[in-house]
Amino acid sequence: MRQAVATGSISLGRRPIMKAETLLLAVLGLYVLGLCVWPLLRLLTTIFAGGLTEGVSFILDAWSTPAARRATVNTLEASFWATILSVVLGVAMAFLVGLSDIRLKPLLVFLLLLPLLIPPQISALAWLAMIGPQSPLWLIPGLEALRPVRNPLLGRDGIILVMGLEHAPMVFLAVRAALRGLPADLIDAARAAGSRPMGAIARIVAPLMLPALAAGAALAFVSAIGNFGVPALLGIPGRYPMLSTLIYQRLAGFGPTALADVAALALILAGMALVGIGAQVLILRRYAVATDRVGGAHAGFALGRLFWPTTIFVWLLMLLIAVMPLIALTAAALVPSVGVRLSAETVTLSNLIYVVTGLGSAQRAFANSLFLATSAAFLTVAVAAPLAWLLVARRSKMAQALNAAADAPYVLPGIVLSIAMILTFLPPVPVLGISLYNTIWILLIAYLARFLALALRPVVSAMAQIERATEEAAQMSGAGPLYRLRTVVLPMLAPALGAGALLVFLGAFSELTVSALLWSRGNETVGVVIFSLYDEGNSTAAAAVSVWVLGIVLCLALLISLVGRRLPDGVLPWRM
Amino acid sequence: MHRRSVLAIALALGLTSYAGAAAAQSGPLVIYTSTPTEQMDQLVARFNESYPDVTVEYFRSGTTEVINRLQAEFTAGSAQADVLLIADTVVMTQLKADDRLQAYPDAPIAGTDASLHDPEMMFFSTKLITTGFMYNTDNVTNPATTWAELTNPEIAARLMMPSPLYSGAALINVGTVVNQDGFGWEYFEALADGGATAGRGNGGVLDAVARGEMDYGIIVDFMPLNAKAAGSPVEFVFPAEGVTAVTEPVAILAGASNVEAAQAFVAWQLSEEGQRFHVGQGYLPLREGVTPPAAFPQMEGVDVMAVAPALLLEQSDEIKQRFADLFGG
Repeated sequence: MRQAVATGSISLGRRPIMKAETLLLAVLGLYVLGLCVWPLLRLLTTIFAGGLTEGVSFILDAWSTPAARRATVNTLEASFWATILSVVLGVAMAFLVGLSDIRLKPLLVFLLLLPLLIPPQISALAWLAMIGPQSPLWLIPGLEALRPVRNPLLGRDGIILVMGLEHAPMVFLAVRAALRGLPADLIDAARAAGSRPMGAIARIVAPLMLPALAAGAALAFVSAIGNFGVPALLGIPGRYPMLSTLIYQRLAGFGPTALADVAALALILAGMALVGIGAQVLILRRYAVATDRVGGAHAGFALGRLFWPTTIFVWLLMLLIAVMPLIALTAAALVPSVGVRLSAETVTLSNLIYVVTGLGSAQRAFANSLFLATSAAFLTVAVAAPLAWLLVARRSKMAQALNAAADAPYVLPGIVLSIAMILTFLPPVPVLGISLYNTIWILLIAYLARFLALALRPVVSAMAQIERATEEAAQMSGAGPLYRLRTVVLPMLAPALGAGALLVFLGAFSELTVSALLWSRGNETVGVVIFSLYDEGNSTAAAAVSVWVLGIVLCLALLISLVGRRLPDGVLPWRM
Repeated sequence: MHRRSVLAIALALGLTSYAGAAAAQSGPLVIYTSTPTEQMDQLVARFNESYPDVTVEYFRSGTTEVINRLQAEFTAGSAQADVLLIADTVVMTQLKADDRLQAYPDAPIAGTDASLHDPEMMFFSTKLITTGFMYNTDNVTNPATTWAELTNPEIAARLMMPSPLYSGAALINVGTVVNQDGFGWEYFEALADGGATAGRGNGGVLDAVARGEMDYGIIVDFMPLNAKAAGSPVEFVFPAEGVTAVTEPVAILAGASNVEAAQAFVAWQLSEEGQRFHVGQGYLPLREGVTPPAAFPQMEGVDVMAVAPALLLEQSDEIKQRFADLFGG
């Protein structure tokens, strides 16, 4: 690929207009190949340095220990059941929102998509707080008798429940998008032919939704096997090891000496993810039915007699799975000391104040995460804008390849990316002669690789929708490519760039999976501090830090949604 | 610039010896420790008041995990730590035998019991931490007062303890108890049969008992006593048979790159100011004349169970293994 860039610039050297573009492409290529592709290749070559057979036998060796096998089986088991839960909830809600006359749909969708915004470790903490014996839930008259004596969420069932809810929005979004594309005529025709609403849904709608459902399920599955926050908080104390937590514990316990071993485990995890991703791509390519929506979308069936029972059930469910955990988490942060029951006399803001004014590690973490997330947001967007322009406006094949390559660090499990980063940046950087491991820069590099795709998606889809004529006019008036990019394209892309930057910031600010393996002394991130406070048994402080993160994340999400009304379709991953 | 002007003023005031000594320590100091994050943060902040030019960085985990990491770094040929501050002397004795520690002959141990420190001045006890058990005062109305009562299945089923595979204090506790007459491994077998569970560190035990998810927890003294003072529904028991104890030793590693700052850190821990600071965090001080924390009951009547460190060192792998077999690690 590097060679292609080089020959391109030579043969096009005669035409100076193209040269600026080639230079741009070369810089973008360096970013994507150096940060997104090279580390992952490095992971592969580490294991397969001695040839294919040797690599395979090394992986089998690593896998043959009882701990690794148990973790593999657990990963598959928990991810399977979590995916089932995601599918049931995601599909039911998509059909209800897409095909019924239930009210207040935007609020319902917001509550359902809330888990997408909340970092997994905070969801896990919130659920622990809600189900635990100290939960305010048990203060509700009639529920006192249900107060558990120990937290039932620690272990497999809790992991399945929290991951299932966490990934349900993926299935929901996939199916809802397919439902939006469904022509109303199909349902009308079935109804005219005498089909009842449920019959039309079962025989006409459901089969058409299957590919989207399967693709959403594959995505939920891949997210589940790569999830670290939930198994770390529920599985480590619950003694239910999964691959991601096993890799983390081995590296945390033994340091870089365990690298070869965990690299093999990471490849097993990557292999599982690739099967899931492959399935998703295959399903979408082969089985997606091209429905051509000319007329309007279906207005939705009247729920009739079922309207109130359904409404009450759905809102209670949303209250339970989306609102109550956050209330319980906040309650856990408002008591003066762990185990104190919340009441008018005991309520205090002292923890919330203490973690930002007195707790050094949390203060450092907020500063570090703010720096990392802001830098990652600006830099990824700075790369995404020209790449999207080359991809869409200039139809560059090379840009297309880079766009695809940028997906790899995002869809693969974060633990795999972290191991790849350690392998790549533990040895001293050639020219500088210093190792980036144990510095904040390896975190920034990992974030730049991981979140580029998150910035690219909205910018590419906005780019595809902006008016071409203005740029063509500038071109005909003699404006060069970089000048056009700066003066014409970027201003029109600005809202999408802002949305992309905010999405990256949201993802990076409370990131845990990548940071858990790459943080070092003094370079803690917010996600890491929440996890270690909880791990040490300081759950009150962990809850307090989480409440701050939650506040920041929700404010930003609200901001994006407000900006989002002015954005072209497809820029935001969700739409109210 | 700032440092220089401070020095100049100090010189002018004739405080040369003190200010000169304080200003000499600077640069990065890396500490590996098992002290909880919150307390370590406070400790570093306080240490920096006296030594503003030392940049302290620390890695924190349970003693056993800290040592695993250190051993891995030794194997790789590059230990990153200057100072080790962990729960128990057993591990320190092992590291000393492996030539991993360096002596600090001038350490200011006056005012403390010399037998608490290494005779060759390679590691120094900093505070006394005893292990007994705690209970949740909402759940328990008629609390146990002896170790023996904990094997009662009704209590054991609702009992949690830290694991020696993570915590150094837990390793000493298990090692000491199994070597006592009338206890032995039968004691922990009875706890396991009764349904007792092991978590990771002491913090996890405090959390579980304070929240009421467990009734009883075997735990180090300062955590429940601090929590009680802050209002948590917990009480700590010094069992009638006696407590077990660790002394949270501090040591300078042989390969330390900032020996001056490391010595300053060790000296500060042993100083009267450092000891008073530990009291403020809820620890029992070692220095004579420093009053124990108000939360502690009279310690006169409390027996301390002890076992020769050499025996514990010899048994430490066996202790971890047998504990893991009983409680699943």
